[in-house]
Amino acid sequence: MYKYNFLYELKLLLRSGWMQILSLLLLGLFCFATINGDQKVKKRKQDIHLAKAEVKESDANMLSLLDSIENGMEVSASRWTIPSSPTAVGNYHPRVAAMDSQPLSFVSTGQSDLFTHYVKPTMTGDDFTLNFTEIISPVQQLFGSFDLAFVIVYLLPLIIIAFSYNILSAERESGSLKLLASQPILIHTWVFQKISLRFFWTLILTAIILTIVFLFLASGSNFNGLFNVIIITTAYILFWFALAFVVNLRVGNSSKNAIVLLGLWVVFVLLVPSVINQLGNTLYPMPSRTLMINKMRSLKEEAIEKQDEILDNFLRDHPEYAINDPNQNRKFYHRYLASQKLVKEELEPVALEFEQQLERQQALISKFRWLSPSIIAQESLNMLSGTSTADYEDYRKQVIRFAEIWRDHLTPLLYNNEPFTSNDYPELPSFNYQPIKLQNNIVSSLIIMMVSIGIGCIGYIVALRGNASKLIVS
Amino acid sequence: MIRNVFIKEITEFARDGRVKIAFSIVIVLLGIATWISSRQYNSTNQQYAVAKSAERSIWNNQGEKNPHSAAHYGTYAFKPKYPLSLIDQGVDKYAGTSIFLEAHNRNEAQFSLAADQTGLARFGDLTPDFILLFIIPLLIVLLGYNAFTKEREMRTLVLIRSLGIAPWKLILGKWTALFLPILVITIVLIVSAGIILSNLEDFGVFKWSNLGILFLVYICYYIVFVNLVLIISSKSKKSSISLVLSLAIWIIACLVVPKAASNFAEAKYPYPTRQEFSANILKDKQEGLDGHDPWNKQAKLLEQKVLKEYNVDSLHQLPFNFDAYRMQKGEEHDAEVYFKQYKYLKSQFEGQTNVYIGLAAFSPFLPARFLSMGVANTDYSTHWDFSDAAEDYRIKMQAFLNNDFAKNSSHGNWSYKAEETTWEKLPAFEYAPPQLAEILSKNSSNIIVLVTWLLGSFAFLFITIKI
Repeated sequence: MYKYNFLYELKLLLRSGWMQILSLLLLGLFCFATINGDQKVKKRKQDIHLAKAEVKESDANMLSLLDSIENGMEVSASRWTIPSSPTAVGNYHPRVAAMDSQPLSFVSTGQSDLFTHYVKPTMTGDDFTLNFTEIISPVQQLFGSFDLAFVIVYLLPLIIIAFSYNILSAERESGSLKLLASQPILIHTWVFQKISLRFFWTLILTAIILTIVFLFLASGSNFNGLFNVIIITTAYILFWFALAFVVNLRVGNSSKNAIVLLGLWVVFVLLVPSVINQLGNTLYPMPSRTLMINKMRSLKEEAIEKQDEILDNFLRDHPEYAINDPNQNRKFYHRYLASQKLVKEELEPVALEFEQQLERQQALISKFRWLSPSIIAQESLNMLSGTSTADYEDYRKQVIRFAEIWRDHLTPLLYNNEPFTSNDYPELPSFNYQPIKLQNNIVSSLIIMMVSIGIGCIGYIVALRGNASKLIVS
Repeated sequence: MIRNVFIKEITEFARDGRVKIAFSIVIVLLGIATWISSRQYNSTNQQYAVAKSAERSIWNNQGEKNPHSAAHYGTYAFKPKYPLSLIDQGVDKYAGTSIFLEAHNRNEAQFSLAADQTGLARFGDLTPDFILLFIIPLLIVLLGYNAFTKEREMRTLVLIRSLGIAPWKLILGKWTALFLPILVITIVLIVSAGIILSNLEDFGVFKWSNLGILFLVYICYYIVFVNLVLIISSKSKKSSISLVLSLAIWIIACLVVPKAASNFAEAKYPYPTRQEFSANILKDKQEGLDGHDPWNKQAKLLEQKVLKEYNVDSLHQLPFNFDAYRMQKGEEHDAEVYFKQYKYLKSQFEGQTNVYIGLAAFSPFLPARFLSMGVANTDYSTHWDFSDAAEDYRIKMQAFLNNDFAKNSSHGNWSYKAEETTWEKLPAFEYAPPQLAEILSKNSSNIIVLVTWLLGSFAFLFITIKI
């Protein structure tokens, strides 16, 4: 019987044009999304490349200036930009701290349209005001990007709903159900066979199309990544088919089915995420950035007033920096760096509060994300792409650590009033981005699959207990 | 006859459990969203008031100081929140809220809310504009998808025809029945928002006229959806097909086109990265006059020019401090550099805006979204306006400080300190958002597109439909 059902369904799908429409639609959407994602990744790579090339050029410039100075020649550059001063090197020749794209970055835009992918921390710059956001039209951020994650999380369920909302009801409405009822097969099993066939076809199609776009359209994909994306997608597709199965067995006519399924879509894809987000914001509200600015300003003001005292204390704590010059040749930057360090230390708790609140919100979300498989799918795809909040938070921390290294590397020269020479150049620290270790997302995908199968089974059992004839004629 | 059709449809809605449930869900959601937004609005405004006065007192009480040190010390311009952001938050979440105003540099607005939120925030917020722009059109689809198909399925269409009713009367009856509940929800929301807003303390900025326009925008947007849903329903054979098609329209208009438009706009008119942008500015600055650099070629030229003008042969003989004067000239040059670079950014933004308007032919969502944000003063061009106003203030502030420096000290006297009372004399930064007339003229193409949608869909509905 299963064989007949299979053939009948396949013929039906092919003749109604559904398979063709489905394949073309999926292919079109996936291709467009991949091209968009890939374009973004290419631009990101290009930007980083250009920034690095620029630093290379300015380094060559710096070296030639240093060479001239070391040979006792006059140089024609502004006094404070001459690279024999360590602060000039620290401020005018910063390194590029770039967050390289990951092989799967094209899959999900995630937070990548909010944040910058490279910064150049300077020696006297404030770590707090180091701007990690990117200049981009906020309209774009508001609308979001048409990427693979959008197609999978938002559109795929809708396609599945359109593909499966009337499996039973259409047969009933066209009158063919009565004919089928005369066959020696349980009606539930028959619906199950029909829906599993559709699930199977959607899965195969999606997997093939994903493979095609990964192979031909994306510039830096790998098979492991493809496998991961397919697993997440499979779990997500299964979830929506399970819902469709239950709705088909439980609810009445085609329109009602469609409305219920769409209601579920709105709940899982739109409402639950925004309610949880709102919950996070209400329970762990972010402190005010504007008030943080006030605090930073007052601290700085105090620090400026006490600059000399601060420098004295600082040098007492750091005898290695005690200025060698017996005339105590204190300059602007000596005082500035010392007071900056103090301001930074005092502001640390304020900045930490932002980080902690964000972490608390994230923790809350990790708990509540199980309420909607859409959140899990989106987050897993973001993580695979290296565009999740955690990735950018980690990058920010790495940059701040690097800024510290950069400062600490040049500070001794400043306090010892030693010039920066061309011999010091190769020793300059450079930034190496370390992506976060990928967590295994297969577990959460497996859980979604289990839950989906559970939903399907419960629906099946409940329907079995009910009156089968009601399904046929209701 | 129109009345009879209307009464029949409304009675059917009232008896349909689905409609009741959907309706009450939308009302509850709107209530929650408005409550959350008004809380947020209040707290943001309080923070703004505190920050603004604190910043001003920090500026006023900086003590005796060289004016140029004060210029580097700088001050902050904070962006206020406007009353109608209660209804439409627009791009506020993504645009920064504070701009640092200092010597030599124009800074971008910093600290956007979105950057401080988790990735979940990208799914969207539960705000009134989310309900108004996404959920209510969905409600229209839900209420109206079977307006004609049910008559076909229940075979009542034949009966109706036998009554000899003119098609337009039938359509108008159904149209009014579908539109009325939506109108009621919208009026309730807009009126309650108006009442909440006029009871707030800083009532000054809020105007009922803006709210009225906002109401019209949403009503036009809903009418377009009502028309589209009725057109589809009258052309479809089955309710389920009509439902799926109407939904496809909703998905395309509200989700797909805006996202695709944002990709097209970015690909066609890309912004430079922040670092590139500042590198371009630096390059322009270096090629011109540098306020700090006495050896700079152009500064030398300026020196000669001034000496000649005052007919003296040394800078010390000038009646003002030439250092400060040169710095002011440098500042003016920097301002020009910024003007040029920001003009480029603005031209990219305008290009992007045109892409959105072009694609609005595929989605009534786009003009409605832009108009709603515009009227609520939460759109990108208001943000530009704010940032330009802050830049104007910065230029004036630099002129004020440099003039004080030039007037009260002599050449080479960098140890000059202005009195503590000097700082108070600098007027505080005040910003008023664009007025309604200006907003509407700026958004004229969006208005045209939305009205075209409105008239076009009406025409299509009444002319082409045969029952």
